Amino acid sequence: MDTKPYMQDRAAEEFFSRLERGEFQTTRCRGCGETHYPPRVVCPACLGEDMEWVDLPRQGTLLAFTRQADAIRCREPDVLGLVELEAIGNVVTRIDAPFEELSIGIKVAFDTWTSPDGVALHQFRPTT
Amino acid sequence: MAAAFIVGVAMTDIGWHERDPHDMGVRVCAEALRDAGLLPSRVDGLISTPHGYMSGTRKMISQRMADCLGIECGLMLDVDSGGNSSSVAVHIARDRIQGGKIKSCLVFAAQREVPPRQIRGDIVGHFHLIKAANSLYDSYQAAYGVISPLPFYAMAIQRYMHLHGIDAEDIARVAVLLREHALRHPQAAYSEPLTVEEVLGSKVLTPPIHRHESSEMHDGAAAVVLVGEELARGDGRAVRVAGMREAHDATSFVPYRGEISRFPCVGRAAHGALEESGYAIADIDVAEVYGAFAGMEPMMYEELGFFAPGEAPAAIAEGRTTHGGEVLINPSGGRLSLGHPAYVTPLLEFVEIVRQLRGEAGERQRQGAAVGLVHTEQGFINGSIVAVLDKANWR
Repeated sequence: MDTKPYMQDRAAEEFFSRLERGEFQTTRCRGCGETHYPPRVVCPACLGEDMEWVDLPRQGTLLAFTRQADAIRCREPDVLGLVELEAIGNVVTRIDAPFEELSIGIKVAFDTWTSPDGVALHQFRPTT
Repeated sequence: MAAAFIVGVAMTDIGWHERDPHDMGVRVCAEALRDAGLLPSRVDGLISTPHGYMSGTRKMISQRMADCLGIECGLMLDVDSGGNSSSVAVHIARDRIQGGKIKSCLVFAAQREVPPRQIRGDIVGHFHLIKAANSLYDSYQAAYGVISPLPFYAMAIQRYMHLHGIDAEDIARVAVLLREHALRHPQAAYSEPLTVEEVLGSKVLTPPIHRHESSEMHDGAAAVVLVGEELARGDGRAVRVAGMREAHDATSFVPYRGEISRFPCVGRAAHGALEESGYAIADIDVAEVYGAFAGMEPMMYEELGFFAPGEAPAAIAEGRTTHGGEVLINPSGGRLSLGHPAYVTPLLEFVEIVRQLRGEAGERQRQGAAVGLVHTEQGFINGSIVAVLDKANWR
């Protein structure tokens, strides 16, 4: 069974290959300066296609979290969260902590995580 | 201005069906046409939807129906727009009729899913379906193995509860109330009563969502017949589509900006439909609202404008959304207890509101119901359609 995630476009391929190198980056439009998350192949602000890759913040705030019941990659405990990166937006990510120890509003920090089937993903963990 | 009217409705029982969806579709179309008093030779348009998310590989569904029922028409379309599909179909039918291009349209949907237990029994054999479910989500969500919207709904509900101080009993009570409504519906998927204790004692699927707070996928079929004034005139049971509006946010499932527990498209669709109809939200007697989870129901009632943010759970507890309350919401039992064949669901909502406005809702009847509302959604409520319906007035 091929469990590798599909890549919807070149920006997604680039984002996940950068994660393999420990880089947490997204696109910024060289034409108008707009920073996107998720990375885009076309800038929704000006329709430009000339992108540079810039660092995303590695600190964020936990907006919400849950545990997936059925999923095809992350095994139990499979805590999924929504993390707010200041001035960027919301990131869906794995949370590296027991569900019971989390609460809305805590500060979390970026890390990389390799799934059992060998996919490099990002995860966040509480900083205190 | 020209108007469009619903003059025929029909639905199957909701549950798990063994029959081919085409077979369910033919029978429900025939029943709706008989209800409308319209022979197939008078049908001008035919619109349908896929047969399911996990089984919907068959194409050209409307075309087969044209052959089976003998319908020579001027509009044919299979719509796939997620949970909104069959209300998009109603919307298009209504606009084409109002525009004068067609005089009548038969909208139908029939769904038969591959049951989840069958998939769990043979993961390898069904892995192509699981991958297809995963690919509904963009790469940044799908990479985490997501195969259902449950975790996103769970996080929205968690934040809603956190922001407004809503507790688990408040949410469980919604599931109990919808079950009470469904007990009055002979075609509902569930016929056993439910208690708050049972809801909170059921398995936590994806916290904070309990099993009894989550819609199962069901099978079923429904059809709605729309006509213009020429064919509707004098029909004392005709229901007018007084206003209808569709609205989408620039999101696909998780919003990457903004608040995950807010759904702006719902309010925009409601505002547009109400404005066109000339009614205010306070005029609505009976509503069918698309909340696939108990925790989503109060959020949808608030986004539609029935209650202020955070106030719907108390209103529900006080009986303001049930029989005898100011507005009867989801008298059918809603997605949770009527049952949820997603592609059919919007038509089930139209069927219920039409029956209510005709005074044909049996034990579920809201006495004197004159104005009704249907709300449908797609994705993670990334898009919504709202319709306002009233009784035809032939003066």
